[in-house]
Amino acid sequence: MNKNRNRFLYSTVPSLIAILAGLVFGAILMLIVCLMDKNITLGGFWDGARLLIIGFLSKGRDELGNLMFGYNGTHLGNMLFKATPLIMTGLSVAAAFKAGLFNIGAPGQYLMGLTASIVIALAIPSASVPAGLILVLALLGGMVAGAVWGMIPGALKAYLNVNEVITCILTNWIAANLSTLIFEGSAFINNTEPGKSGFLYKTAANGVELPKALLDKVFPGSQVNSGIIIAVILAVIMYFVISKSICGFEMRLCGSNREAARYCGINENANIIMSMAIAGALAGIGAALYTLSGNTEFAWSTYQKLPQVGFNGIPVALLGCLNPIGVIFTGMFMSALEINGQQIANLTAYNEYITSIIIGVIVYLSAFTKYIRGVMMHRRKKGGTKK
Amino acid sequence: MDNMHDHAVEMLHIDKAFNDQKVLDDITFQLERGEIHALLGENGSGKTTLMRILFGIFKADAGEIKRDGATVEINNANDATALKIGMVHQHFELVEVYTALENIVLGAEDTRHGFLRKDLARKKLEGLISNYGLAVDLDEKIENLNVGARQRVEILKMLYRDNDVLIFDEPTAVLTPGETEELLQIMRNLKAEGKSIIFISHKLNELLAVSDRITVIRKGKYIGTVRAADTDEQTLSEMMVGRSVQLEVVKTRSNPGEPVLEVKHLVCASAFSEKNAVNDVSFRVRAGEIVSIAGISGNGQTELIYALTGLLPVKSGQILLCGQDVTESTVRKKSENLSHIPEDRQKHGVVMEFNLADNMILRRYRQDRYQKAGMVKKDAIREYAAGIIEANDVLCTGGVDSVMAGMSGGNQQKAVIGRELDMDRPLIIAMYPTRGVDVGAIEHIHKRLVQERDNGKAVLIASAELSEVMKLADRILVMHEGEIAGRLDPEKTTYEEIGLYMAGAKKDEKEDEWYE
Ligand SMILES: Nc1ncnc2c1ncn2[C@@H]1O[C@H](COP(=O)(O)OP(=O)(O)O)[C@@H](O)[C@H]1O
Ligand SMILES: [Mg+2]
Repeated sequence: MNKNRNRFLYSTVPSLIAILAGLVFGAILMLIVCLMDKNITLGGFWDGARLLIIGFLSKGRDELGNLMFGYNGTHLGNMLFKATPLIMTGLSVAAAFKAGLFNIGAPGQYLMGLTASIVIALAIPSASVPAGLILVLALLGGMVAGAVWGMIPGALKAYLNVNEVITCILTNWIAANLSTLIFEGSAFINNTEPGKSGFLYKTAANGVELPKALLDKVFPGSQVNSGIIIAVILAVIMYFVISKSICGFEMRLCGSNREAARYCGINENANIIMSMAIAGALAGIGAALYTLSGNTEFAWSTYQKLPQVGFNGIPVALLGCLNPIGVIFTGMFMSALEINGQQIANLTAYNEYITSIIIGVIVYLSAFTKYIRGVMMHRRKKGGTKK
Repeated sequence: MDNMHDHAVEMLHIDKAFNDQKVLDDITFQLERGEIHALLGENGSGKTTLMRILFGIFKADAGEIKRDGATVEINNANDATALKIGMVHQHFELVEVYTALENIVLGAEDTRHGFLRKDLARKKLEGLISNYGLAVDLDEKIENLNVGARQRVEILKMLYRDNDVLIFDEPTAVLTPGETEELLQIMRNLKAEGKSIIFISHKLNELLAVSDRITVIRKGKYIGTVRAADTDEQTLSEMMVGRSVQLEVVKTRSNPGEPVLEVKHLVCASAFSEKNAVNDVSFRVRAGEIVSIAGISGNGQTELIYALTGLLPVKSGQILLCGQDVTESTVRKKSENLSHIPEDRQKHGVVMEFNLADNMILRRYRQDRYQKAGMVKKDAIREYAAGIIEANDVLCTGGVDSVMAGMSGGNQQKAVIGRELDMDRPLIIAMYPTRGVDVGAIEHIHKRLVQERDNGKAVLIASAELSEVMKLADRILVMHEGEIAGRLDPEKTTYEEIGLYMAGAKKDEKEDEWYE
């Protein structure tokens, strides 16, 4: 169908333009650094530029020092692993956006989800309770904690009309401090390695970890597990919820016109709170999926910083056109960039900051996708109707 | 007169299509210098589109635009401003938190060293204000101004830029009768100063009163241009609709049955002042009758209707609907027995970003026909919406996929009315049901409302148009300062008498009997 194709183009092309512009900017930046830094040859620049785009396919250097590319299960697996929480925070931001809310509180919701699921996963002894049950409880705990944390700004907006952006920022920092407070001096801190006390035990220490679901065979040497499958399934579910369900219809209705929603008999206050709870739950599940891989260590002293993966949910959602299916791909893209950055730092004379800058630029450009779409539609209106 | 240099603007053989559907087909429109030229046509006939082409918002697919006899290219609003063409849009484009003065100079600032020269602007504006009688407090924020004052700010905006071709797109649709009269006077003043004016309105009496010539378009085609002095309402209606139009409402005497709505001593707080917006109001509406609330807008009609439909809490009193006490009920509960054509269509009635299908299902999406286990049934919804569009003659270029925001106001209104009347509820509440719609559609809407009455529905209409009240009502309630000042029989009263009640010059004592 012509109409559907058009809609598809209008949503994907602006994101691709934003991504491409970010990558081109990155390449130019690398060239400038190369020209200014005597340690980096033009050959080094060429290597860096290629790694920027397909670093996740890198297989190191051969004996002559040339880059080798090909299937690299470790990188691809880690890309999927890192994409898991990004997809979830992206879904969180996208769902809230559909309801007309800007969920900049995903970092806090993520952190509360993380805290809850670690506490549950470590506090219940797997000697007396089956590990599988603890796993499920920890997942649910992460979800509920995130949902509660999302509901707070939702309720403040609904009943006191306080802008959710402000309350989200406040609750983010409360979460950061609360998490530190809970873990400080707790038995969850891993003191077994001398001199290292900044991290908690891995949940695997209690035997709680997500099943690998054969993914370790396909992507040997990586951390990937069934979490990515769960994230993709949740994205598909969210797609149906938002665009095909009564609940999603009401969310979009409240998001587009609160007064009209009231006129239709919807309790718009309850709807705002529910939307924020859904958004928070998604971020919380993302945190749980990440930490319940069993092999991640959480640096518990978070009171001075917020998890970047929470904020990155915003560009993931925007580049994904607020479409849950799109979010799957943009989440993977963002994590691929991260892997590429590591490869650049490992295999060339560039340092890892260069990719942080490039990611930053793409994040920035993601905010322009709507503008680019506007320009495209405008041009079509002016030119396309001519016979 | 054929000397082309007498024309301030000529639009020749203009074509325009949206989504491959022609909305303007070989339209020619010529504006003489110093005249008020009205543009008349049904909702969706392309008036706004034509003006937007002149103002550079859209580009014509074919045709030529001349300014003072010379062919010009107008690609954006800046080009239009450079050619001294200004436009007051159907929906105002003002920044709420800026003052009137700041809004006016926005985009045309006099600056020195990067600082705004407000003193220069103020001097010029004060001159304009006294010249044309455009009373505006320049230092008041837009959010504190009423609709009439906002419109005067828009007019000042055009004059400040020294425009001398002024486009008014349905300026009177949002004004009270008094404000309308003031605006028409301002337009006459502008004309006297040599400005050329294009005026769009659906109110034929206004057009005839103020314009020199009238151009009629129908479904994007040019029908003709007539002198206002040589024509009348009936002729214009027929040119516009393409068939004979019944301007009068034909209806038999009402035959009321059981009361459907009973309101007893209703009191509602006001959002703006200490005084109650609705103060001790009692009345009832019976099956098979049309009760009409007349009154100058802002006398409590809005709050009364909001309270009845559940959008506003009730302070005291009682509302009975079909015998049930619904005073405290939710909107959803109340809407089981009433349908509501809202006062502010874009605020309550439609969702501008949604398409027509989703807008038509707003009241029904929870019904089993349109959902299954919490998932919407898209095909059933589209089919339903298509039926409403068809039955109510809603013009839209993209069928049920048309986005509301791209539809003309009158067609939005027809869609809302179609949706609400299709609800088949015992009580129909309609506020300003024909605001901004053309005579053809007014005829259709009036017919539908009378039909509903004859089918035994109770109908409550609030309207600012006295003629509408007189035509439709079986009984008239006049509201003044939140109270019912008079209860009148349209057969026995006159416009003058209603006017006295509306203005508060006349008021009946409260009867012991709370209804009627
Ligand atoms: N931006 C747009 N996109 C698509 N269709 C439009 C757009 N603007 C107007 N239309 C269509 O063009 C027709 C003419 O609309 P308009 O000029 O607003 O009518 P009028 O002002 O005479 O009521 C209508 O059918 C309307 O749906
Ligand atoms: Mg119009």
